[in-house]
Amino acid sequence: MNLLIQTLISGALIGAVYALMASGLTLIFGVMRVINLAHGAFAILAAFLTWTLWSQFGIDPIVAIPIVTLVMFGIGWLVYVGSVRYVRGAHVSMSVLVAFGIALVLEGIMGFVWGNTAHVVSAPYQSESIVLGPFYIREDALIAAGVAVLVLLALQLVLHRTWKGRAIRAASVNESGALLVGVSVNQVAAFAFAIGIGTLGAAGAMISVIYPFVPGSHYQWIARLLAIVVLGGLGSLSGAVIGALVIGMGELLATAYIGAQWPIAVPFLVIFIVLLVRPQGIRGTRLREDAVA
Amino acid sequence: MRSSVLFRGAAMVIATATAALALAGCSADNTGGGADDALTIGASLPLTGEFSQGGLDTQQGYEVWEALTNEAGGLLGRDVEIIVRDDATNQNTVVTNYNALIDEDQVDLLLGTQSSLLNIPGSAVAEQAGMLYICPSCGSPDMYNRGFEYIFFSQQALAAAQADVFAAWVAALPEDQRPATAAYPTLDDPFARPVIEGAEKILSAAGIETVYQDVYPATTKNFDAIVNAIVDSGAEMVVQGSQFEDGVNMVLSMDRAGLQPEIFYQSSSPSYGEQYIEGVGGADAAEGVMFSVSYHVDAETDGNEEFVAKYKELFGGDVPPEDAADGFAAGQVLAAAVEAVGSTDDQAALAEWLHDNEVDTILGPLSWNADGSPTGAFLIGQWQGGESEIVLPEDAATSDSVLRWRGAAF
Repeated sequence: MNLLIQTLISGALIGAVYALMASGLTLIFGVMRVINLAHGAFAILAAFLTWTLWSQFGIDPIVAIPIVTLVMFGIGWLVYVGSVRYVRGAHVSMSVLVAFGIALVLEGIMGFVWGNTAHVVSAPYQSESIVLGPFYIREDALIAAGVAVLVLLALQLVLHRTWKGRAIRAASVNESGALLVGVSVNQVAAFAFAIGIGTLGAAGAMISVIYPFVPGSHYQWIARLLAIVVLGGLGSLSGAVIGALVIGMGELLATAYIGAQWPIAVPFLVIFIVLLVRPQGIRGTRLREDAVA
Repeated sequence: MRSSVLFRGAAMVIATATAALALAGCSADNTGGGADDALTIGASLPLTGEFSQGGLDTQQGYEVWEALTNEAGGLLGRDVEIIVRDDATNQNTVVTNYNALIDEDQVDLLLGTQSSLLNIPGSAVAEQAGMLYICPSCGSPDMYNRGFEYIFFSQQALAAAQADVFAAWVAALPEDQRPATAAYPTLDDPFARPVIEGAEKILSAAGIETVYQDVYPATTKNFDAIVNAIVDSGAEMVVQGSQFEDGVNMVLSMDRAGLQPEIFYQSSSPSYGEQYIEGVGGADAAEGVMFSVSYHVDAETDGNEEFVAKYKELFGGDVPPEDAADGFAAGQVLAAAVEAVGSTDDQAALAEWLHDNEVDTILGPLSWNADGSPTGAFLIGQWQGGESEIVLPEDAATSDSVLRWRGAAF
């Protein structure tokens, strides 16, 4: 029983980090119908930026979050203006190809700048944990989960309490309607893409402490993130949180009870099952275009 | 309008793909040039990807051997030139690289790549071409049951026997000090798994109960669930088959879970020296970790003093990493065979000479069975006071005591 509870605790904490990473992916899809296959690569880029701030200037990853977030926001904006906007509204396959191309370019740049050896930020809280009776809570994951909750709350505030946020939601629900009431959908899309990438500033900072990473690590992340948003429902922020917790706990339960070879299969199994049982995901809604002609 | 969007999108895809290929090309081209009459030696190495740490270290070992050999007048009176191609830790690329080295570069000799995983396809290409293949890191038993004639492993023992000395020592401990149960997590790697399987066989035969045994893939980054399961199993000793990252992550997860067995063995990770110490959080965290090792910086072996001096001159640092030493030893083995035979034309003669003779290297004297597997035994190292010491076997020990993990001496 202790093993089960401990595994669920660890899984929930890791799930919170996954939620932070998946929130931007689902936001970008919700507004632009762009499946950003470069999302994992942007996360690894944020991790490398955090590592650089830590190794060169001694800046703790938590302190680095605002800096990396701003940089990632700017990079997101530039990438949108430079490439993604050309395929917004095009067939989804086109945006997938462009996003994959961006991921490859980012991987190449990261390999060129930082090399292909594993990096990790050795923060003082990396090997520490809080002991509660027979259970423990790892400090780095707890901090990461706290950051995830704060960022997700901030994201919710932006989306529901600001004009830009309302414009994003309007554009995601009905682009034509948003245009009719004076929303500049192009600007909103750029802002949403930049926010989606900006959230990775916090996520990248946290994963730089929790997981060693190389430029090619993004393939593993994007598979997991896609599974999360498919499970939660593409475009649904709350769905992404639920999906992330399920995947996080699912991976650890699979390791503990089935075998250490199984976690890698969990995201793909989830995608497979969701597509069969509930294609719109837990919190997604079926659209007219989902109907079979 | 629609076609315009599609056109621009397609152009973007082509542009990004082109840029990616250009960047990939920049980072992968490691082919060097050299004198026209040089003796060329080709090797594929994982300079990028999962095994890049070991690959880069091995490359350093090759380069030190190349430099010292040329300073001493070369091989058969000719300078040696090592041509290295990056295989990016990809088995398919290993095959492509060795074919290119043989057919396009037309190298005179071959050296192996890093890890059994990559040497399995690499050695097959060499065997097909009838070329001698000295590999510095190919300890999987699976490599030596294929009837190959040209492969030689230039370390002391195969993976299955690497932990034998350690396991025999544990089995011989007095009953009140010997653990009753053990956990065996291991990386799914042909170099790591046999080490742990070999140790488990000896330890279970000695009456130490196996309470946890699992194999994790190379992509595993989070060891919390594995450690939780080990804690739940009540294991009194942990014996892990590890490469590098996974070993470091295991220690961090064990720290967080408060798992502190008296005996903690990892097959390879701790031999990565300072990188390991830094990864696990300092010398105190590594204190008492035991590991199999092929090399020690203070060993009084053939050429070791020159190797260490040249390594420091070329790459700095105090202690050459084990993979660099293994790479250097591979060069020594190759040179011994070539000098003895007097030519590189008859590669079968080179292989025959190695089958019949013993070669002195910085790892100690090496000799081989008919299948190319070595006949010796590995050293067992332990981190003590921030230094990597040899603790077993006793006649090769550089320290008088064997420590518990972060504890007192046995």
